[in-house]
Amino acid sequence: MDNLISKKDLLEAANISYGQLYRWKRKNLIPENWFIRKSTFTGQETFFPREDILHRVEKIKTLKDDLSLDELAAMFSPSPTVTSLPTEEIIKRNIVSHTSLEMYINHFGETPTFSFSHLLTLYVLDSLLQTGEMNRSEGMDLLRILEEQANTIKETESELFFIRKMGVSFFIITPEPAKLFVESQTKMIAHYRMNQCIEELKLKIN
Amino acid sequence: MEKTAERNISISGSGTASGGEYHEVKVNGSAKIHGDIQCEKFKCNGSSHVEGNVIAENVKINGSTHFEGNLDAKEMTINGSADIDGNLHCNELKVQGSSSVKGHVTGKEIIVRGSASIKGNVSGEEVDIKGQVKIKSDCEAESFNARGNFKINGLLNAGSIDIELLRHCEAKEIGGETISVKKTIDSSGFKKLIKFFISQHSDQLTAEVIEGDHIYLEHTHAKVVRGNTITIGPGCHVEKVEYKESLELDENAKVGAQEKI
Repeated sequence: MDNLISKKDLLEAANISYGQLYRWKRKNLIPENWFIRKSTFTGQETFFPREDILHRVEKIKTLKDDLSLDELAAMFSPSPTVTSLPTEEIIKRNIVSHTSLEMYINHFGETPTFSFSHLLTLYVLDSLLQTGEMNRSEGMDLLRILEEQANTIKETESELFFIRKMGVSFFIITPEPAKLFVESQTKMIAHYRMNQCIEELKLKIN
Repeated sequence: MEKTAERNISISGSGTASGGEYHEVKVNGSAKIHGDIQCEKFKCNGSSHVEGNVIAENVKINGSTHFEGNLDAKEMTINGSADIDGNLHCNELKVQGSSSVKGHVTGKEIIVRGSASIKGNVSGEEVDIKGQVKIKSDCEAESFNARGNFKINGLLNAGSIDIELLRHCEAKEIGGETISVKKTIDSSGFKKLIKFFISQHSDQLTAEVIEGDHIYLEHTHAKVVRGNTITIGPGCHVEKVEYKESLELDENAKVGAQEKI
């Protein structure tokens, strides 16, 4: 129960009301599968994944003055808001670093525009390169798996793991919520939730 | 739709037609339509059976119609009976007769004066019930008004919920901003007469959980009621009340436990 928060505690921790919570649920700002119903000694209660919901509520609260609830819903949904972006725009608005863009173009060739799923690939590549934990040849492997699994990422909420053991590294893409157990010498270098990446990217684009 | 909008289907005896794009589809006898249809106007005065999906501006069912697929309409009025096996999407839906939908119902204005039964979710901006409604899943709306009889097996979630009780109303969970449940004040002679024959003490709402910012309840049976300002009126049986700002209890209300949070 450590990673769950009851509805009552959530309302108090986030200082919101029942009405707000129900309105956000109606507007699809909070995904249906976050509402976890459990029987307790006081009867049925609803719980939420603690980190996710607190993060989400905080985000809604800070953004709701600037964006309408519908715009927020579009941001949180896994489907793209923008269908494509021209390459110059990406450079001009500094959405990703020059190096990442170059790597991408080296691998896939020149394109005048980037579709949303390509943008996402680019964005993930860039964030991992920026951490300094991934080298360029690993970046190529990442590009390959993201490209191959583009449909999976689009259709299901997925997670990306980057793991290294004794200098050998590999990537795993799995549907959320994943439970991965690794042996002791293995190093989990990065763990990304694709949905969160999509959200961040959307914020950057808009 | 303009380019082929010249063609019409009009069946006055009994006949079959194939799908396609039409301006007007009109059935006065009995008809069977094979395939998907797209049209401006779909009107059935007799009986019809559509084996496909329908996209229409305006649908009017005065007789009876069975749609095997999805139905997407701007405006729809059901005076007779309609059965839809798929989903129904309609901006302005008015059910005066009877209808049953196996999929989800989405729209802006959903008005039921007759009877409707829906297996999937219902979501709209305004849901107004004066007849009888059964929803097997959830119901979501910005405003939910009921003067009739409803049963919702899932969650009723609406910005404002206004219920005037008539016979037995039921929802598993209710959540929203303002929730008001009152006994019908209307005391026209006719209603009194009906009530005399049915039963006199059956106006009641049953729910497991009711949560909202401002809650006013009468004749409600619930396990838990949670909210900011709560009034528990006459005829209520509530096992537990949790409130934040204020709680008012009627002397004719039965409340098990109360807790200020």
